[in-house]
Amino acid sequence: MAPEVHRFAGFLTELQQLDRSAIPAQAPRILEAFTRHTSFEIAALYLREGREGPMRLTASSPHCTAPDVLDRTGDVPLDPPPHLVLPLRSHREDLGLLALRRRGAEEPTEDEVALVRAAAEYLGTLIANQRLIQEMREGEFQLKYRLWELESLYEIGLSIASTLNIDDVADEILFRMISLTNARRAALFLRNGDRFVLFRSFGTVRAEFLDQEIASELDREGQPISFHERLDCIFPACSAFVTVPIRGNNAMIGVLAAADRESRDGTIGQFEANELRLLGLFANQAAIALENARLHKEALEKQAMERDLELAATIQKEILPKSIPQVAGIELAALSRPARQVGGDYHAVVERDGVLTLVVADVAGKSMPAALLVSAVHAALQLLMAEGRELGDIATEMNRHLHRWSAENKFVTMIMASIDAESDTIEYVNAGHNPGYMVVGGRLETLKAHGLPIGILGQSRYMSQKRPFLPGSLVLLYSDGITEAENLAGEEFEDHRLEALLRLDGSGSAQELRDRIAAAVEEFVGEAPQKDDQTVLIARRV
Amino acid sequence: MTEELRVSVERRPPGAILYTKGYINNVGGEEIANRAYELMDDGVQTLLLNLKETKIVNSIGISILIEIIEKMMEKGGRIAFCCLTPVIHKTFQIMGLANYATIYESEEAAVGDLGLQR
Repeated sequence: MAPEVHRFAGFLTELQQLDRSAIPAQAPRILEAFTRHTSFEIAALYLREGREGPMRLTASSPHCTAPDVLDRTGDVPLDPPPHLVLPLRSHREDLGLLALRRRGAEEPTEDEVALVRAAAEYLGTLIANQRLIQEMREGEFQLKYRLWELESLYEIGLSIASTLNIDDVADEILFRMISLTNARRAALFLRNGDRFVLFRSFGTVRAEFLDQEIASELDREGQPISFHERLDCIFPACSAFVTVPIRGNNAMIGVLAAADRESRDGTIGQFEANELRLLGLFANQAAIALENARLHKEALEKQAMERDLELAATIQKEILPKSIPQVAGIELAALSRPARQVGGDYHAVVERDGVLTLVVADVAGKSMPAALLVSAVHAALQLLMAEGRELGDIATEMNRHLHRWSAENKFVTMIMASIDAESDTIEYVNAGHNPGYMVVGGRLETLKAHGLPIGILGQSRYMSQKRPFLPGSLVLLYSDGITEAENLAGEEFEDHRLEALLRLDGSGSAQELRDRIAAAVEEFVGEAPQKDDQTVLIARRV
Repeated sequence: MTEELRVSVERRPPGAILYTKGYINNVGGEEIANRAYELMDDGVQTLLLNLKETKIVNSIGISILIEIIEKMMEKGGRIAFCCLTPVIHKTFQIMGLANYATIYESEEAAVGDLGLQR
């Protein structure tokens, strides 16, 4: 083989070995091959950017001054000037230029020109092949990316619909949106009354609430909107952001926002139309997931409330007396009807040293807080009574205790009445409770309140009152659940109906009176639901 | 959560483990690539990427990971991933990364299989 042919073959082989990697990265090696295998020692390689972009300097020899970009004239103003400028072509497409200068000022020979021209043609083919391979790879990547988008939408439907925790759903929505749009920052706002409150965010977000104008615009348009103004209102220092409405059954329930869409070259740009369409589809899936999570949360809260009620009812049940004590010379009867939603009625019957004390109390509030307060009243009452304190003292101590340790709006109305058969007297304290009744010698008397409910004012002092209570006398304590029991027409049972029963049956037995009161209230109320606890305590001296 | 990615490297002869924390996007991907190329230049031929603390990856991050895999394959080495979230695992399968890099459930399984120092 002639040395020239051998040299040319080696040159082509070296060029061929370049094709594994992208050509621009191999530009210095290309120049080196041209200068090593030919008599040219100065070279500059220009490659076209894309298919129609400018010719850009990709590599040049040392001591060669070349412009970064060539103008459209095709002149290559190299310093020193080139002996030869060879186009790099494939199928009439200009891919680039190779400018060469020989050693010394002498012009290249025809053979030398023919050699580098053939090599440049070969290089053009290599570049074209490289570009095709690159485009195929990019096409394949784009195809997979579209598949990923579709798969993501499908997966979102599956996974976020099966996730019922709203925090998990929010994370999933935000992360998926960021991935799909190549955004750097994102936020999820959820409706809270009239406003949209920031629920989750990724990256720096300024707003705690969504700008009202943006919310109105999204609600009106019903589709994703790109913003190029008011840029600081969600994401500080962003160049563009996109917002997407999340529509529930009847209204916009949330808003997704994303900013800083990045490109492979590191620049930050605007969201494209296909991305807005994708976000619109994505928001539909997100709406279903958020609605499911909201309904699930409501169901859980309802369950918790029912458990709370059950527990409160259990506490009440444990505290209230399970049976009425038998006391010689006194007939006792009790009625206790708790409402479905636990109220705060409390009653107790305590016998100590021949004195029988009846207590009826009603604590403010319902459910668990009321049950806990009832429990506190029960404990304090039992302790103070065990110490043998008199009624006024018990009420005063209990008031001081509850005022100090209970929440601000917690108070108790309470009436206590102690029957002393030995002295034929009844002593009572009424702290803001409904008046009790006495039937003495066929005459109806009331035991009116003479103090504020317990727990309202820390300095309150309570004094008991004493009245005669001869054999045949009757006392009745009750809660407002009796006199305020409502029928379907919204009318209340009221005091006068209770007083009429007492006037009519006041001389009968305690149990008979209790049963008549219970029947009368039941008949009056009819089908109307019971709203409050109903308590009655009756004692008659026989 | 922030958008910045943090990468830490643990040499495990004959290879190394890269731990990522945060979003693998363009910036995060470049950070991983820089650390991976430094290791490759040092002659490391087995790289394990532990993505336990990464919850999000975007398409640009994926393309950079593909570039890293290709570069390692050119050098005759191998790259593996471990501790991926289910979403990222599925993404890697769809985008073809799983064809060129092994994905392990746990770091322990990966270290054992790749023969890295424990």
